Amino acid sequence: MGVKKVEEEEEENRARGKRLKCTFNMEKQQEGGAKEEHDYGEGEIDDDYEQFIGEDDDSDEDDEHDNDDEEIGDNIGVPCSQPVGFFYPLTTPSSIVVSDALDPDLPVIYVNTVFEISTGYRADEVLGRNCRFLQFRDPRAQRRHPLVDPVVVSEIRRCLEEGVDFQGELLNFRKDGTPLVNRLRLAPIHSDDGTVTHIIGIQMFSEAKIDLNTVSYPVFKETCQPHCEEFSEYSIKSGNLLHCQHREICGILQLSDEVLAHNILSRLTPRDVASIGSVCRRIRQLTKNEHVRKMVCQNAWGADVTGVLEHMTKKLAWGRLARELTTLEAVCWKKLTVRGAVEPSRCNFSACAAGNRLVLFGGEGVNMQPMDDTFVLNLDAANPEWRRVSVKSSPPGRWGHTLSCLNGSWLVVFGGCGRQGLLNDVFVLDLDAKQPTWKEVSGGTPPLPRSWHSSCTMEGSKLVVSGGCTDAGVLLSDTYLLDLTNDKPTWREIPTTWAPPSRLGHSLSAYGKTKILMFGGLAKSGHLRLRSGESYTIDLEDERPQWRQLECGAFTGVGSQNAVVPPPRLDHVAVTMPCGRIIIFGGSIAGLHSPSQLFLLDPSEEKPLWRTLNVPGQPPKFAWGHSTCVVGGTRVLVLGGHTGEEWILNELYELCLASKQDSEA
Amino acid sequence: MITLQSSDKDVFEIEQSILIQSGTIKNMVEDDFTFIPLPSVDTETLIKIIEYMKKHADKTDSKEKNIKEFDKDFMKKTLNELFALVFAANYLHISSLLELLYPSIADRIKDKITEAIRQIFSIRCDFTPEEERRIIMDNKWAHEGTEIEGTLD
Repeated sequence: MGVKKVEEEEEENRARGKRLKCTFNMEKQQEGGAKEEHDYGEGEIDDDYEQFIGEDDDSDEDDEHDNDDEEIGDNIGVPCSQPVGFFYPLTTPSSIVVSDALDPDLPVIYVNTVFEISTGYRADEVLGRNCRFLQFRDPRAQRRHPLVDPVVVSEIRRCLEEGVDFQGELLNFRKDGTPLVNRLRLAPIHSDDGTVTHIIGIQMFSEAKIDLNTVSYPVFKETCQPHCEEFSEYSIKSGNLLHCQHREICGILQLSDEVLAHNILSRLTPRDVASIGSVCRRIRQLTKNEHVRKMVCQNAWGADVTGVLEHMTKKLAWGRLARELTTLEAVCWKKLTVRGAVEPSRCNFSACAAGNRLVLFGGEGVNMQPMDDTFVLNLDAANPEWRRVSVKSSPPGRWGHTLSCLNGSWLVVFGGCGRQGLLNDVFVLDLDAKQPTWKEVSGGTPPLPRSWHSSCTMEGSKLVVSGGCTDAGVLLSDTYLLDLTNDKPTWREIPTTWAPPSRLGHSLSAYGKTKILMFGGLAKSGHLRLRSGESYTIDLEDERPQWRQLECGAFTGVGSQNAVVPPPRLDHVAVTMPCGRIIIFGGSIAGLHSPSQLFLLDPSEEKPLWRTLNVPGQPPKFAWGHSTCVVGGTRVLVLGGHTGEEWILNELYELCLASKQDSEA
Repeated sequence: MITLQSSDKDVFEIEQSILIQSGTIKNMVEDDFTFIPLPSVDTETLIKIIEYMKKHADKTDSKEKNIKEFDKDFMKKTLNELFALVFAANYLHISSLLELLYPSIADRIKDKITEAIRQIFSIRCDFTPEEERRIIMDNKWAHEGTEIEGTLD
């Protein structure tokens, strides 16, 4: 259409206004169309347009599709007379617009007759344009009318970007400039592969009662915050800003459930959640949500840790788990008898848990002979039994080595005393492989060969080792890291300006995602070697990680007779609980102290204090670090109930940190 | 230059480059709006929002430490001010500000007993005395006393 044509039409249309509408209505009742009623001039009418004129029933969608790709018809399927959304009355036909979503400007590719009637625009006048022209009062205007609410326009834009539905009201204009209120619903239409290919718009136009001459902004709805909630006692009398009116009242309750749960509650520790959960009904309800509780645990303890606990939470809900791990109210000793045998018998083996399986490697047999066999105990089985793992080849036999679990199912052996002296090799076994095999990892320049060193797993996939004793009998104080997520894992020394006095038989416990607590051991003290009761910590995330001593006092609470710190020891058990606190017990302790007394420390406190823990049940007589495994984050299994020659591996002592079963109704 | 109008009808003229940190304003600017009424944001809050955006507009490395200091101080506001900012930042889609506000609010809940939280946030307790008694028992472990008593064998 030429420009001149448009102007002529406009003149005519403005003059005729409603008459045009009536003509259309009359038209619909006739068969075939009465073309002569329309002053669009000869040859102006597309064949396509004729289709619209010829329409006498809006619900007959099929014919209208000749205008466009046939695929669209398949997707529309919305007969005009059906209600769409809750505010469309049954009998009023809807105006429909379809736009091409693959074109960045979202051009209109289809409009129905109701649209044409309501807006006064013919299909051929609008096809190929973005439908924002409806916001222009004048068809020739370059900008939308200032009374069109920019907030709604922005919201429409956002919904289109995010591919979500939009519902709202907008000021539109007929071709003749009459203001309309367009109650609009937009919905994306997806192709089979999920791409948004079209946008369908359904409109309900009605008369707008506004004075176009006064551009005064109260015409915009004073929007409530998108995430505002009304609460019963303090009902909003006018549509005014919630926070202005109610400054003196609960801002926090004005947040939506979603924002409150995801952004505020999830950042609190389990204790704080319990505290705020007692404040009022609504917050209590939110804190009881299992998903919220899981998020709290994840944020407080880390994703790795909560991943390990997932298995546990099938029996015990997150809320209860968090509480029990905080209060340790359910902690107890249990005895577990298992079948099978680890033969030939041995001591100084190393054991570790991979999920619910305990793995044992090596050890010192009769005549100080280093062993090289591997055994597995599956605690998930109905009757757990020790079984030898048949492997093609084993690492060289050894004792005084470390066995650690990485990446969920890998067992990593490092160092130890072999047949021909001390070792510094690394072997990995994937327990989940079809045929588990020990594979050596070269690792570049390894640390010095050693035994009775300590190791821990950082962030689930990094092995950290420190200290130990060399061939020459020298004690070490170095720290090395091996990242097994790399294709070619390489040993990396962690250089520190200061290191704790060299030692063996100490413990390394990972906590707080990137920190390590070192405790105890037999440490160099002048030219002596003494049992140590000192604690040291390092944060591997620091730019230049440094070891520093942790000054820990003893907790003096109501009812405790003495404030005590753990007596110095080596070869003890150190376990990091999911909540980040560390439990210490067992080992070789000088004097008459009971090795089964449990001590608890939170190294992330400003001034960490040792607390003692009284645990009901029968504890093991002795417990050693290298033969203790942590299963599922909450079960500490001590292998070997006796010292001396006999190591009875069929009796396990289990320290349960949390209930096994949720006994609450 | 874009003009913002608060709910109190005060107008502010700010450079577009600063304001596009707000997703909402960015969309409006792209749709050719130059006058943007914000009926949900009052003047006091809008001034703070503009202050924040001005500071964060220049994100060169040298200014990073500066910005961190500013953020820390910026959060030293009353709870009511913080909530007003949450609503405004939510409405204006300024996610970096929200990421600053939420932890600040959470910090004010940290390590507080229930009654303290009620007072600080002005929340009315809507439990019946029965319910309240039961809830206190349930959540006693949260902060009251020590959960672990210790004595040597």
